[in-house]
Amino acid sequence: MKLAIDRYAYLDSPIHRWQQNCKIVGLLGLIFAFAFIHSLILLPIIIITTGIIFFLSRLPFSYLVSRLRYPGWFILAVVFLLPFMIGETILFQWGELTLKLEGCQIAAVIVVRFFCILTISLVLFGTAPFLSTIKGLRSLGLPQVIVDMTLLAYRYLEEVGEMVNTMERAMKLRGFDKHYFKYRNLQVLARLIGSLLVRSYEKSTRIYQAMILRGYGYQPPSNKSQKKLVLNKNHYQDLAATILTLSIALGLLGLDLFFTIR
Amino acid sequence: MHIPDGLIPPSVCLAGYAITGGTTWYALQQIKKDSNPQANIPKASLLTAAFFVTSLIHIPIPPTSIHLILNGMMGAILGYYAFLAIPIGLFFQAVMFNHGGISTLGVNTVIMGLPAIAAYHLFKLREKVSRKRELWTKILAFASGAFALLLSATLFAAIAISTISPDLDAATERNAIYVSLIGYGIQAIIEGTVTVMLISFLEKVKPELLNI
Amino acid sequence: MKELTRTTKALSQKTVDITATNLCFKYNQEHSVLTDINLSIFTREKVGLIGANGAGKTTLFLAICGILTPTYGEIKICARLVNPGEFRPEIGLVFQNPSDQLFCPTVRDDIAFGPENMGLSPEIVQERVNTALSLTGVSHLIDRIPHHLSGGEKCMVAIASVLAMQPQIILYDEPSANLDLKARRRLIKFLQASPETIVISSHDLELILEVCERVILLNQGRVIADGIPQEIMGDRNLMENNNLEVPHSLTHSH
Repeated sequence: MKLAIDRYAYLDSPIHRWQQNCKIVGLLGLIFAFAFIHSLILLPIIIITTGIIFFLSRLPFSYLVSRLRYPGWFILAVVFLLPFMIGETILFQWGELTLKLEGCQIAAVIVVRFFCILTISLVLFGTAPFLSTIKGLRSLGLPQVIVDMTLLAYRYLEEVGEMVNTMERAMKLRGFDKHYFKYRNLQVLARLIGSLLVRSYEKSTRIYQAMILRGYGYQPPSNKSQKKLVLNKNHYQDLAATILTLSIALGLLGLDLFFTIR
Repeated sequence: MHIPDGLIPPSVCLAGYAITGGTTWYALQQIKKDSNPQANIPKASLLTAAFFVTSLIHIPIPPTSIHLILNGMMGAILGYYAFLAIPIGLFFQAVMFNHGGISTLGVNTVIMGLPAIAAYHLFKLREKVSRKRELWTKILAFASGAFALLLSATLFAAIAISTISPDLDAATERNAIYVSLIGYGIQAIIEGTVTVMLISFLEKVKPELLNI
Repeated sequence: MKELTRTTKALSQKTVDITATNLCFKYNQEHSVLTDINLSIFTREKVGLIGANGAGKTTLFLAICGILTPTYGEIKICARLVNPGEFRPEIGLVFQNPSDQLFCPTVRDDIAFGPENMGLSPEIVQERVNTALSLTGVSHLIDRIPHHLSGGEKCMVAIASVLAMQPQIILYDEPSANLDLKARRRLIKFLQASPETIVISSHDLELILEVCERVILLNQGRVIADGIPQEIMGDRNLMENNNLEVPHSLTHSH
């Protein structure tokens, strides 16, 4: 199992330099604004905004394409029927099949929103190491329990993945062919998953002991000073970028409201 | 069974986040009542990783293949931690495979997480039975596995089909939901069966895992 | 010279169990793990495979079993080409960590797993389970839960799970890792007596000295030396150039 998520996290670009917690606020604002867009007229604007941000991030285009391929097919399959099913204005008629304007419009809005949100979230999570993202989320007030669980699960994801790969290998060498669907195979698979759970559980017990021995859960008396954000010169730039992005997001929302009401 | 970004109206996204936020807060309160919440965090985390990896295993059902979701099983083992484990797993999935999405994380957590909590309470009923415990454990295991999946599928189909196209008439909508549920019915039987097998395996090999 | 012709003659009379010809393996196009490996391992031979961490020992094992597809070259087992992905019950691999191999609720199920996959009848499967357990000396564990066994017991059960397929060749990946002295001694006795062709990859050089009549030294995916264990492992320069140490028992005898 390859977790290729940190592959381009160490490039240098304005987006990479943008501090992760500020980036989270800014880009999440943008993502939600995109989700709100209804008006066709705004679609070119959000495409251009997305394009600029992606260009600034210096992530390779091939990376974006490779990440969009699988979910892209999925969304196309979902919206494929809409132009034929929804609406009254007939654009094109071919026997029983009628292509309708309103359906096409809804499909276009969904597809554009989808690709823009995905691209922005790729920029958000692809331009910083995953650990910085988690730290950023913590400084934004994500509960400590969830932060701890995310970090631990992430840390052991690859290891557990390796465990299941090796076990599947060992089964294959003893002649197990999982390409058939029968009761016995389901049983074998259940045992494999069960063993995985048991082994993860046993590992977690040892991890917990090791964590306790290194002071996990011990609250030093002056913990609050760590959480304070240090404002230096760079930090003003980070804040400015966030404010700019949020203004774009708010602007988009305002425009969308304006066009919808009109 | 994840709703991708951009598909559903923002009001549903926000409602999803609101319900997720509220339930998470409630789950955190329940967890704090634990005798030793800190000791359970590594356990819940490692099991989150294990369930995540499990969801990548494909089961061939010619002509296609499915992957297990096991949210009922997660509920049965993890209890309220399942409601933390599920958004974490969904977050990994969105970030690593672009499966699901960031704006729809709340909705997807509701779809997967609420049935997990329901399954937890359903499976806990076995503590109440005194006779034929083994049989009841099997029945309840199947029920939690199958029921959680069906509930998730219903939520998913209802949200996806009703919000995507407000202009569709109600009859077409209902039919579409019914059709998709037949497919999920088969998967529910498989998930229920695997849950029974898993619970029997764990009861034999590591019973304390069932009592986190 | 006379000595040499006799050994070559003796070897040529033996049948070959494993042959690797010009075997190369690369992970993702760039990083070369195995480079041009040529090997012949003969029937009933006991061969040790040594080399520092990352020398390519485990990769070589996985390629021989057909789990990994070689980038170049070919492998034959029992005179038949290995097609990656194909099930070859004549070769077995004992994994370094027995927990990777054992996944069933009882020892019996685990050992029956391989024979069942071979399509044998239930009676024969049962017979194979009993034979494999008695060969490894752990018959008393048959109804136990594999996850609850001690390290030494798990090791022997993992070996039994491979033996039950009655393979002609068995590859052992670090069999003595994490064993206590008594379990290790038991493993050595077992390996010395086993009738199969065996290849043992190990950092436990003393174990290889006791069990093997031939040793192959790998470094950075290449075969550096291939021959008699005492000669290769006693060569201080050779060993140190390849990030290994001469085993204690050989330094004393000099």
